[in-house]
Amino acid sequence: MEHTPGALAAFLGAKPAARGYANAVRGSAGHAASLILRQKRLALVALVAFLPVLIPLAMAFLSRTQFVDGGNVVFVRLVEQLYISVLAPLLALFFAGMLVAEDVEMQTMPYILTRPIPRSGWVVGRFIAYLCVSVAILSVSITLTYLASATLANLKMTDRNNLVLLAHYLGVTAAALAAYGALAVFLGAFTKRPIVYGLLLLYGWQKIATVIPGLVDFLTIKKYVDALYPVLATQRAVVEVQTALGSFQKQVFIVSASRAGLVLACVTAAFLVASIIAVRRREYVSNRVAGS
Amino acid sequence: MSAVVEVKSLSKWFGEVIALNNLDLEIGRGVTGLLGPNGAGKSTLIKVILGLHAPSRGSVRVLGGPPRNNAAVLRRIGYCPETDNFYANTSGFEFVYWMNRYWGMNNRDAARAAEEACDLVHMTDRMHDPVEEYSKGMRQRIKLAQALAARPDFLLLDEPMNGLDPQGRDEMYALIQRLAEHGTPVVVSSHVLYEIERITDDVVLLYGGSLIAQGRVRDIRALIDSQPHTIHVSSGSPRALAARVAGEGHILALELRDDGLVLRTSDPNRCYDLLNGLALGEDPLVRTIECADDSLQAVFDYLTKK
Repeated sequence: MEHTPGALAAFLGAKPAARGYANAVRGSAGHAASLILRQKRLALVALVAFLPVLIPLAMAFLSRTQFVDGGNVVFVRLVEQLYISVLAPLLALFFAGMLVAEDVEMQTMPYILTRPIPRSGWVVGRFIAYLCVSVAILSVSITLTYLASATLANLKMTDRNNLVLLAHYLGVTAAALAAYGALAVFLGAFTKRPIVYGLLLLYGWQKIATVIPGLVDFLTIKKYVDALYPVLATQRAVVEVQTALGSFQKQVFIVSASRAGLVLACVTAAFLVASIIAVRRREYVSNRVAGS
Repeated sequence: MSAVVEVKSLSKWFGEVIALNNLDLEIGRGVTGLLGPNGAGKSTLIKVILGLHAPSRGSVRVLGGPPRNNAAVLRRIGYCPETDNFYANTSGFEFVYWMNRYWGMNNRDAARAAEEACDLVHMTDRMHDPVEEYSKGMRQRIKLAQALAARPDFLLLDEPMNGLDPQGRDEMYALIQRLAEHGTPVVVSSHVLYEIERITDDVVLLYGGSLIAQGRVRDIRALIDSQPHTIHVSSGSPRALAARVAGEGHILALELRDDGLVLRTSDPNRCYDLLNGLALGEDPLVRTIECADDSLQAVFDYLTKK
């Protein structure tokens, strides 16, 4: 590393310019996207996300008469019960949950936290990267499932109403990914085990809250995501709940789609703000101290 | 001249463990050595100076402002951490590039600054290789490159000599001194006095989280030289190396090992000069040199009146 004094002076003299907030967000998003796209778990998650495409194809191949459900019903069931209820929280946990946690785990936080990037820009940039990748994965998979479902009866690929239905579900999926993702980012910024807490909250608590009588289900993200579904809300007013002891009916208090969308936007914003506060306040660096 | 770092009544504790205990110190321009045995509180002090830790009590000002979450201050600091951690599946260039983006550079500036910084630390040829394929010394260079890429006004290097071979250390010493000559204040932490002595006369001595001395290294040197010095030398030909150094008058004892020697010397300066010469020769007898640090510990014991 020997240098002539002139070379070092020239190097030190060429100070680069610092750009604004939007550049910081773009930089953070670009880095996060490059990290997500290189993760080994991406292939696994993508594989799981694309598996539902095979279901309508298998149904069509095995028998057209064996299944009474038409392509539209199969598509709606797959999107609501698999993509939005199971896969969206899963992608949120495995991608968004690790956006901050992975830097803590790999001990690369000192590099980030000693950079002058606004903490909010860093968190928002990473969140945007997660949202783009996960929305892309699920959108492609849902669209393929739509095309596969068109091999069954009652769903035409080019029918305008069906295309509107597809677009509607893609929107709901994006909203679900945003809300679940913001929660997962917060868990990653605030706890040491975001995946564990995330699994408990998204698959444990949300399930339990739907069977507890009363208004507890208002404390779940699922309540507001479900309210965005295109099927008439009144049809969801009474739900039959299956438990180990038998089935019972539970009165569900309806939330309108517009209010549910507003709540999801607020939930997303609130968890992102909480994540930014956590990143600003917490000391992520390992504590190697005297005498320890 | 105003101080680059001002620390007032600084204490930092983690639960019941006191990492820093009521420190008062000022760090000025030039190179300052932050010296202390492992666990002395050097890294904790650096992390407080960088704003990674909030003071439990007292205050820190860097370049005139508090560092924690302060973009205006952080924009002027370059930091090379002690830990050897990088993002997976990333090349050295990419790592420096993304760190530049986090600094606030746009795409073009970040790429250019990354190339220039990699060139400065002589990593141009290997900068597009994955970091996982780098030697420890190459990773140190990349860490230094990310610290220098934004042309900081103040540089903090936490144990930068770790893992470097003798030639790499010499180059690092020279670069640090040149940076200081060009007006960049540099703080270098180390637990090896000899390393610090090579680059500066100004040291801050920490022990058990407390400041035990601040001043000129030559005053400490006198204390050090009154203690025998133990050095671990790694070599491919330990017997040839032993034959070469055995006749030196300052060598008090020699212990032959499979991978090298353990030397005990009464004159560390002459011994290090001799070993460096052997490491840089045409047929190097010395692969690595490691200070066993017991003499430094003895001085700390002396200063703390143990």
